[in-house]
Amino acid sequence: MKSDALVLENAQVARARAGDLEALEAVYRAFRAPVYNLGRRMCGNEEDAEDVLQETFLEVCRSIRRFRGDGSLWSWVRQVAVSKALMLLRRERGRAGRSLDGGLIPPDSLGKSPPEPTAPIDLESALGRLSPVTRAVLWLHDVEGYTHEEIGEMMGGSTSFSKSQLSRAHKRLREWLD
Amino acid sequence: MDKTQHLSMDDLLALRDGEGSASSRSHVDACDECRCELERLYQIQARLRAMPTFSPPRDIWRRIARSVGRRRLRRRLSYGAIGLAAAAALTAVVVLRGSSTMGSEQSPDAWIAEATSPDMGPSIRRSRQLESILQANRPGQRVYDAPTALAVSVLEDRIVLLDQMLSEVRIGGADRAVMVGLWDERVATLEKLVGLQAVQEDRVWR
Repeated sequence: MKSDALVLENAQVARARAGDLEALEAVYRAFRAPVYNLGRRMCGNEEDAEDVLQETFLEVCRSIRRFRGDGSLWSWVRQVAVSKALMLLRRERGRAGRSLDGGLIPPDSLGKSPPEPTAPIDLESALGRLSPVTRAVLWLHDVEGYTHEEIGEMMGGSTSFSKSQLSRAHKRLREWLD
Repeated sequence: MDKTQHLSMDDLLALRDGEGSASSRSHVDACDECRCELERLYQIQARLRAMPTFSPPRDIWRRIARSVGRRRLRRRLSYGAIGLAAAAALTAVVVLRGSSTMGSEQSPDAWIAEATSPDMGPSIRRSRQLESILQANRPGQRVYDAPTALAVSVLEDRIVLLDQMLSEVRIGGADRAVMVGLWDERVATLEKLVGLQAVQEDRVWR
């Protein structure tokens, strides 16, 4: 993503690192859309995406002085956002008493999984039917470009965990998509 | 690779990501069905990357900025009055040095002059006393009931705002009476904060 280079001046980043609120707001404005979209795609709903956005930029404000500038600012912000989204997914899995191992569609309030679609569905609906973990792996690998090693590490699993989740995601999409 | 057996999803994904084995590659070259599946995987990836984006909500930054301001205030309170004086002096120096509209640079002496002046000095010294009291009570480590927590939050926000206004007033070189008024209000707000803590003393959960 080039938006940081286009929108943010080095001086602004330096001021943000020094804790200047105006410069931090500029960082927020430059990256709020991709962070929100990442949260929305990984978590699958507006409320969680909003939490990811807020938690990410609270963390950015707290920790930006530790950004060394050896990579792009977007890569660093995105890393924070991914870890916040994964933390949220972990919390929700924990609340539901399930481990972070993927699986299919989250059960409804009666503990039943929604029925399998009888006709092809579109990509948006198919993404919504994947389990949060499987969807997160699919998004991180196929869209954001993280490697299986990176995903495994971020999710506290192995490379093969990430590969198996991606494979599971594509098998499901293969069945569901028109 | 057995030519009668199609590639697994893992094999196809590895090929798509440029990590497939030579035998998988040669199988795909010879097998229409697997080539078609591989093409499908490329297409799904392209469709995922082209999915529409969502507009983020508008008012999040205000919440974040308030939270950052509160956190900074708490840190400052927990560092105590000396830390506050140093931070305020530094702010004054940075602000005054950074301000081309002032026409002249001012040293930390400017802050000392402000802190010892007859009109602002008493309020500044009282602010420091009250912050010492708050620091001694370690407000950051307390848990209040909900109404008190809200009141504390409002008062802390007010102090952050007053500090911002004091900084801006220095930049703009506003009337001295305005600064005196802001310092007085800062003291009154801190008094309320300390009073709230005293009233809550018996009801605090540590």
